[in-house]
Amino acid sequence: MTWGQATRDRVLVGILLLAAWQITSQIVGAYWVSPPLVTFANVWRTLQNGTLLFHSVFTVSAAVLGFAIGTAPGVLLPMLIRRRPVVQRILDPFLVAGYGLPKLALAPLFILWFGIGIESKVVLVASVVFFLVFFNTMAGVRSIDARLVRMARVAGASDWQVSRHVVWPAVIPHVFAGIRIATPYAIGGVVISELISSSRGLGYLVQLGAMNFSTPDVFGAIVAITVITGFASWLVGLVEARFLRWRPADGLTSAATDH
Amino acid sequence: MSSFLEVAGLEKRFAERTPGEAAPWVIRDLSFTVAEGEFVTIVGPSGAGKSTILNMIAQVEPPSGGRILLNGVVVLDAHKPVLRPGLDCRIGYVTQDDNLLPWRTLLDNVLFPLEVQGRLDDAARAHARDLLQAVGLNGYERYFPHELSGGMRKRAALIRTLVYDPPVILMDEPFGALDAETRAQLQADLQKLWAMRRKTILFVTHEIAEAIALGSRVLVLKRAPACVIADHAVELPRPRVVDDVLTLPAFVQLYDTIRQVIR
Repeated sequence: MTWGQATRDRVLVGILLLAAWQITSQIVGAYWVSPPLVTFANVWRTLQNGTLLFHSVFTVSAAVLGFAIGTAPGVLLPMLIRRRPVVQRILDPFLVAGYGLPKLALAPLFILWFGIGIESKVVLVASVVFFLVFFNTMAGVRSIDARLVRMARVAGASDWQVSRHVVWPAVIPHVFAGIRIATPYAIGGVVISELISSSRGLGYLVQLGAMNFSTPDVFGAIVAITVITGFASWLVGLVEARFLRWRPADGLTSAATDH
Repeated sequence: MSSFLEVAGLEKRFAERTPGEAAPWVIRDLSFTVAEGEFVTIVGPSGAGKSTILNMIAQVEPPSGGRILLNGVVVLDAHKPVLRPGLDCRIGYVTQDDNLLPWRTLLDNVLFPLEVQGRLDDAARAHARDLLQAVGLNGYERYFPHELSGGMRKRAALIRTLVYDPPVILMDEPFGALDAETRAQLQADLQKLWAMRRKTILFVTHEIAEAIALGSRVLVLKRAPACVIADHAVELPRPRVVDDVLTLPAFVQLYDTIRQVIR
């Protein structure tokens, strides 16, 4: 399929979805489902008066901060415990438990501890992102080709050089697999936390709209969240492609499935 | 001839499966010596532990018994098995798989040992260029391994070891998975490179013809537990064209002798 054809078909699917949205709105009533045009007009209005931008900046800041704080240890820990199987075995049950724990259920607790400001959102996002990145990175570390490590050792590479030149490049695709999965969760985590209690952010806008029985406000905020999440995922893909230029172009696009 | 590399009573047995029950031997009392600048081939049936022997000499796998000496100095002792992979870059190892780093270009793969050894200077780069030229890889320096053919990857792996000039080079069936033509080309390349620099080479293969055609000496292993059962000097003139020596009487005679010992 050529690029042009793909674009044309995408536009077609987009139009169909918008039509479905419009029809649904007409069937159940514009009061319950804000029609597309009204929604976009609302988005445009809130963009112009600055409200949307103000709340988006808050949500994005919390997501980016929490993302960074969760990703750093999620990547570093597997690299550090790579050659320490005992530490791996000790930590394993706790990490598995932490991964399985529904972090979103902790949101009220974090708000209780850290207040309704940005801190509680950052902590929630970091706790979600950490486990996703950790387990993907750890899978990467475990799947290292021992023959490559052996080759590097024979060639005279030190422990550090093996980590830097053999392990790390092999782990990067797995780190990105984790990051790709974590990205929408990071934004979603902030929004959920804002829904529960906040005075700012897109989640707050959703909540405010719902309380005022104003579906155009709710839909507008949701559109903004969707656009931001899509943009973030696109950005991650861009950075990933930059890092993984060495990979064969066909297949192997998902590091999570190639081992 | 004085011995440069000496393998003395080397032994290896499988890891114990059931406690108290003796695990079978893979290699038993293996001894041989290699002179400096000699090209020795080791031939033996599949499963004779050939790779294991090279792994132990390269010090990436511990022996169960015996010693290895380099230049008269004990470099590995089964009683004090502290492994030093590659023995401080004095033993190079070309394995069955090319083991190129997929994220590095061909040139960066070839330069990898020099880079980690902190020896990457203009002279080293020039040396690498010469070697790449010698095996016809010039022009492909900036391609990634997955873009290259199996033969090219093998050449790159070979050059990667030659470029840092280890005194001893181990080769484990490096041309195993190649088609006949590529293989003949690489065998010729290897002889050319060896003639250029006279490295001490220990080359393992399961093909008798390859062992005779390449080696100055052929060591024959028996099936597990492996040890040397025959040691033949190869009196064939060099440079050898592998296809041409196959019909020489000296080759045919040696081939038959070895085949009868192995079968």
